Amino acid sequence: MNTPLLEIEDLYAGVAGKEIIKGFNLTINEGEVHAIMGPNGAGKSTLSYLLCGKPGYEITSGVIKFRGKNLMTMSVEERACEGIFLIMQYPVEIPGVPVTSFLKYAVNAQRKYHNQPELDTMEFIKMLREEGRKLGIDAEMLKRPVNVGFSGGEKKRLETLQMAVLKPQLAILDEADSGLDIDALKIVAEGVNNLRDNKRSLLVITHYQRLLNYIVPDFVHVFADGRIVKSGDKNLALELEEKGYAEFVKDK
Amino acid sequence: MSGLIQEVKLFGYNIPRIEGLREKARASFWMPTVKTQAWKYTKLHSLKVDDFVVEPSKFLEEIEGKEIEEHCCCGENCHQHGESCSCGHHHEEREKHECKCRNKKHLPFAAYELHFENGKFVPIYPATPSGVEIMTLMEAFAIGEENHLLGKYIDYAKYPFAALNTAYLEEGLFIHIHKSAKLDKPLALINHTYGGQENLLVNIRNLIVLEDDAKAELVEYYHYSGEPKSRYFNNIVNEIYLGAGAELDHCRYQNEAYKAVHLALNSVRIKTQGIYNGFCLQKGADLGRSETQVRLLEKNAKAEVNAAYLMNGWATLDTTTDIEHLSPETYSSQLIKGVVGGEAKGVFQGKIYIAQDAQKTEGRQLHKALLLSDTAEVDVKPELEIFADDVKCSHGAACGELDQEQLFYMRSRGIGEKDAKQMLINAYFTDVMARIHNIKIQEWLQNEI
Repeated sequence: MNTPLLEIEDLYAGVAGKEIIKGFNLTINEGEVHAIMGPNGAGKSTLSYLLCGKPGYEITSGVIKFRGKNLMTMSVEERACEGIFLIMQYPVEIPGVPVTSFLKYAVNAQRKYHNQPELDTMEFIKMLREEGRKLGIDAEMLKRPVNVGFSGGEKKRLETLQMAVLKPQLAILDEADSGLDIDALKIVAEGVNNLRDNKRSLLVITHYQRLLNYIVPDFVHVFADGRIVKSGDKNLALELEEKGYAEFVKDK
Repeated sequence: MSGLIQEVKLFGYNIPRIEGLREKARASFWMPTVKTQAWKYTKLHSLKVDDFVVEPSKFLEEIEGKEIEEHCCCGENCHQHGESCSCGHHHEEREKHECKCRNKKHLPFAAYELHFENGKFVPIYPATPSGVEIMTLMEAFAIGEENHLLGKYIDYAKYPFAALNTAYLEEGLFIHIHKSAKLDKPLALINHTYGGQENLLVNIRNLIVLEDDAKAELVEYYHYSGEPKSRYFNNIVNEIYLGAGAELDHCRYQNEAYKAVHLALNSVRIKTQGIYNGFCLQKGADLGRSETQVRLLEKNAKAEVNAAYLMNGWATLDTTTDIEHLSPETYSSQLIKGVVGGEAKGVFQGKIYIAQDAQKTEGRQLHKALLLSDTAEVDVKPELEIFADDVKCSHGAACGELDQEQLFYMRSRGIGEKDAKQMLINAYFTDVMARIHNIKIQEWLQNEI
């Protein structure tokens, strides 16, 4: 059997001394799409930041392995180069850094990590424009500073474009549907689906079932109070949509 | 008396006008103390030592027929072929020889280049268009071209280092752009300092006169090569006169050795419709000050004084401005941005003065700095003195750190932390760099950050 892409074992973690993840287990194999659904405050975003290695998020115990390697000792950029990509819920604006040069730098940094030669600028721009066109991102937008003055939908499309260009092994979508109208949602979902193959995997973190109509998961997990409390197939998502999270949330 | 004032015989000791200027300046020099307001944040202890060395006059050596080293690096052809020349280098052919002893820096864009080595002008003049006159300052004095402009408006009580500069008045250029003359590429004063001579004190004085409707770009570049710990003191004064409708883009880049001292004063006078667009990037030196005094003399005179500074270690880099609006409907704008790391200190002192009858005047000033470490420091002193009642004036100052969210975002795309920081620093300077009109100069400096 192949090594799983991502293994999380009995993870306890938190931020600023507050424990948020409490005994979390999850295994994702190559080519699988997992959805994690849960109520507000369950620690969904914390989980995505932990996987990316965001400073300030601390693991107290447990193991995270990515393709058999210990992920926890890797820096943010190493994890990205190893193939983890996070579509952020609130992408930040970076004034003064145009999209094109930002992405070119990111692509070449990752190529360098894998001992591949840098991409030729003209080639890169051609590729970027082509990928952008599929997502409704025109050349003008590519010249603008990263996310500056972008609408919510444009930001998510740019996230999707970055994913299309960086071609990660594991893409994590953190509430990728927040702030999107239905058309933008379809475009983003299509972009994500284009990347799907039997090697790449997705971890879709979401509040609502809506996104899962477009990105159909193989597994659905209910996430409450820092761990997975129930797992099932895509039908679980429909069930949750109907009944809500009430049965999983303890009275405090 | 301070060890900075020394007895040295200079060219023109027998010309009363020149010697008179030096005499007066020598008597006027004073060393600022910790109590001197204008130097409160920028400490001068590295100057309070007696070991500065003033090189003998190159002009006098030439006159006295002393043998001068002749080799390509000083721009003069080697007269000996197939053998070692006086600079100690073996030259095969006159045309093709490359001297490796000194790597003279050229600019990455086309310019009329004028070179100084260790503060001495290398007498090679580029072929400039008609209406552009360039000569050494001493020559200008000798033939009466200087027109009694030098030092006319500099108050030594306020600018002691201008007095020091004048006390050693000799090196420097007279640049005269005649009425309506225009330059197709920038004039560039490139100042090379080489290691080897410790504690060199260099004074360069440039007198720059643009007649009515003349237009020019001037680049000043200070760089250093050799033993990194070399200590020296470059003391620069530029006096700039802009006639009616004259335009000067003036870009200074200071990248001296990290133990060096670089003090510069730009004194600018602008007549009606004249435009001065100044920019200064300070990156080198242990102690650096770029001071700009602008006097907007007549209606519609405009000045921009923009600057960027970037440093680490223990350096102090100071940007000081003094903009005087002396007539109605004059305009000034200043944008200063700094990035400070290590235990370094950035200083900005910005003054806007608006005279009583200078109505309908606009003066803008904004200073922003990014602190990269807990030990970095920025001292900011904006001063507005407004005596007119119908003016638009603003000033602002802000200090921040690198945005951790931006940094995380970039790193999560695979960009290493160091590179991500560098990209953010570059991005930070984008707006101030955009104020340099010449794109090629802009690109050059952007790459130097």
